[in-house]
Amino acid sequence: MTGIHADIDALEELREALVRYRHAQREVAGRGADRIRAVRASLEAKALHGQTQLALCQAEFGACQDRAAQADPDDPVDCSGYARAAEQSEERLERIRRWQQRIDAEASEFAGRASRFLGLLDNDLPRVEQYLLALIASLEAARRVQAPAP
Amino acid sequence: MTGRPDQDGEQQLRLLDDAWEKASQHWLDGTARQFGDGHWASLLQESRGYLEALRKLMDTLDAAERDTEG
Repeated sequence: MTGIHADIDALEELREALVRYRHAQREVAGRGADRIRAVRASLEAKALHGQTQLALCQAEFGACQDRAAQADPDDPVDCSGYARAAEQSEERLERIRRWQQRIDAEASEFAGRASRFLGLLDNDLPRVEQYLLALIASLEAARRVQAPAP
Repeated sequence: MTGRPDQDGEQQLRLLDDAWEKASQHWLDGTARQFGDGHWASLLQESRGYLEALRKLMDTLDAAERDTEG
């Protein structure tokens, strides 16, 4: 160990930086997971609302078509506005569902990477920190041996 | 940390990289080289891969929210 020309303070600072990094990235990972859950919940709520809206628009369009079927040919009922509203509601709901599917797929792909990273934070980094601690201890011991007698 | 998680994670990685740069100016022996090539390289690679994947996913989540507003 006496051949190691390391500065003990620099190694200690590095070890402390690793500890801070581990805690900070744990928090980052937690916030990332929270964000995924929040957006998924938000899209689910939008999809439910979209379904309700679509059912309402379709019912209004159906009622209009019934009125149109019974209307005087000289005074026709125009249902195009209801048709457009129903179509737009359907498109919006489809868009929400496409995003839900895409996020499910991307979140699933991300989960593997996140799991490996959490494993690194929880298992590998503490071992690296222990390694540095042992190295610092051995350097301190070597320094004590080399120090001139008082 | 109050920004997007991926951006905060990148900032933390930069701080850690700075700490390594500083330490490596003092720690110059074979053990340091082994540590840099092994533990450190692996830590940086895994961190960068994770943060890049997190950034892409956060971009997708933001886009989903924007596109389904209203």
